[in-house]
Amino acid sequence: MLKAHVIRRSWKTALAYLIVGGWSLFAVLMILWIIIASLKTTRSLFGAPWTLPSAPAFSNYVKVWVSNRFDDYFLNSILVVSASVLVLLLVAVPAAYVLSRGKFLGRGAILNFFIFGMGVPVPLLFIPLVVLTTELGVIDTLMGLSIVYVSVSLPFTIYVLQGFFSSLPAELESAAVIDGCSDWQVFWHVMLPLAAPGAATVAILNFVALWNEYQLSLILISSPENRTLSLGIYSLITSMQYSGGNWPGLFAGVTMVMLPTIALYIFLSERMISGITMGGVK
Amino acid sequence: MRRRLIITFLAPALILYLGFVVLPAVRAFYYSFFQTSGFKDQAHWVGFGNYVALAGDPIFWLTVGNMLLILFVGGIAVFGFAFLFTILINSGLWGKKLFRALIFMPNIIAVVGLSTFWSFVFMPRYGLLTNFLNSIGLSGLAVIPWTAPEHLFWSMLVGLVWISAGFFTILVLAGADKIPTDMYDAARIEGATNRQMFRFITLPMIWDVIMITLILWVIEAIRMMEYPYAFGGPNIDQNLYTPAIYLFIMGFGQRQPVYELGYATAIGVAMFVFTALAVLVIGALTRRERVEF
Repeated sequence: MLKAHVIRRSWKTALAYLIVGGWSLFAVLMILWIIIASLKTTRSLFGAPWTLPSAPAFSNYVKVWVSNRFDDYFLNSILVVSASVLVLLLVAVPAAYVLSRGKFLGRGAILNFFIFGMGVPVPLLFIPLVVLTTELGVIDTLMGLSIVYVSVSLPFTIYVLQGFFSSLPAELESAAVIDGCSDWQVFWHVMLPLAAPGAATVAILNFVALWNEYQLSLILISSPENRTLSLGIYSLITSMQYSGGNWPGLFAGVTMVMLPTIALYIFLSERMISGITMGGVK
Repeated sequence: MRRRLIITFLAPALILYLGFVVLPAVRAFYYSFFQTSGFKDQAHWVGFGNYVALAGDPIFWLTVGNMLLILFVGGIAVFGFAFLFTILINSGLWGKKLFRALIFMPNIIAVVGLSTFWSFVFMPRYGLLTNFLNSIGLSGLAVIPWTAPEHLFWSMLVGLVWISAGFFTILVLAGADKIPTDMYDAARIEGATNRQMFRFITLPMIWDVIMITLILWVIEAIRMMEYPYAFGGPNIDQNLYTPAIYLFIMGFGQRQPVYELGYATAIGVAMFVFTALAVLVIGALTRRERVEF
């Protein structure tokens, strides 16, 4: 009796490992496959998609880096995404602090007003944003794209940050006030250091999200020299229709866009996952 | 906190949010009452004309149909996987954090990269799927044209579900993890089965998490654009159109410019209304006493 029970249990455990492990392994194999594909010739990619290349074709990288201008795209992405994340933190951290610790009429309403923004479908803003950035003269510029990135990232960022600030103990704040700190000093010397891990988490999450996004850059950027990396890959997909299928080159571009975020993820996956679940599941 | 600090801390965020999210959203409603092909062009006030045209536009209803398929068929698959993985991972597997990290991983890779990979998987003749099916001797299945119009949407949905399942798994898992374990211990002593524990402890305890994740899914599904659009590549097939893709094509054109800006924004307003309605419905359906502990 007992033995049968144990066997059935171990059967179930093995099945659980198989399902969860298989699903997990798939993502890893996909990444490896993409990297290998980026080092093959078109003929060997199509003829023998599962094998290693006899000699790695680094020329795929040279080609997209030079003739497809991925050097510009990479630099643009680094520039736009870092600037956006930096400004986002400068703007969102103080706002989230006030919205979670301040005592004033309308605090909850303003907070809800920000959170409401998470439900606005971004495509609704496509045409108004094109009109607005044209009026401001920042359409098709990296600066215009950054301003839009910061603005649309505010709802999620403020939501997560205010949850973080609310979880900090109130005693520290009142102790600092009793010791004679001004409210600026309370923020700068007491709350900000405590909130640093939360700020770092939203910074990473937004970095990855903005690095990967391409729909807003698709509508706001028209000059090839201003493309971001994700948009560059999309335009490479579009151009393949005319230039024939340079799939290895495309996978070289994909490798370039995915390696930085994967590298971040290897070191910071726990922090990123806890940041997202903190926002959704309090 | 002094008033001055509150205002200085709030003002930059409020200005950006009002200027680049709220104001454009309000302007979208306004634009949707015009027929216009650009800003220099004279815009004609058409009242609800765009909405009337939308109601009679078979392509729009096709996009709504696709949206509903993503929402319901995709949603059932996504949440099915999310619950399955939560149950399996929490059944005492070794390496929980590793599995969680790997299941979530597609979400940190650029959507254009993922759609490129899946395009290659489903590619006719040379695709990885066809190749794989041939190599294991299932040539009967290998001849199925996965990117033919009647299969294309479902091929797209596979990758979409794969990505989203990872996202919602970590949310459901986090919800399940906040349940105190002594509740399960007590139930086990009373002789409860796994299924009973799931039904009578897990589900009620994570009810609020389920509501939030459902709302997130609905928002995501209604505004879906990036994955199917990149999966479709140049000259995207109409079977892949979502409302957002149709909006984009009506506003900015595909091969030929269309520039129906008023019409395109009306689609955006429709998406906004769908989202609002869906959130209200979920709110009403899932309203019940929250379990405090």
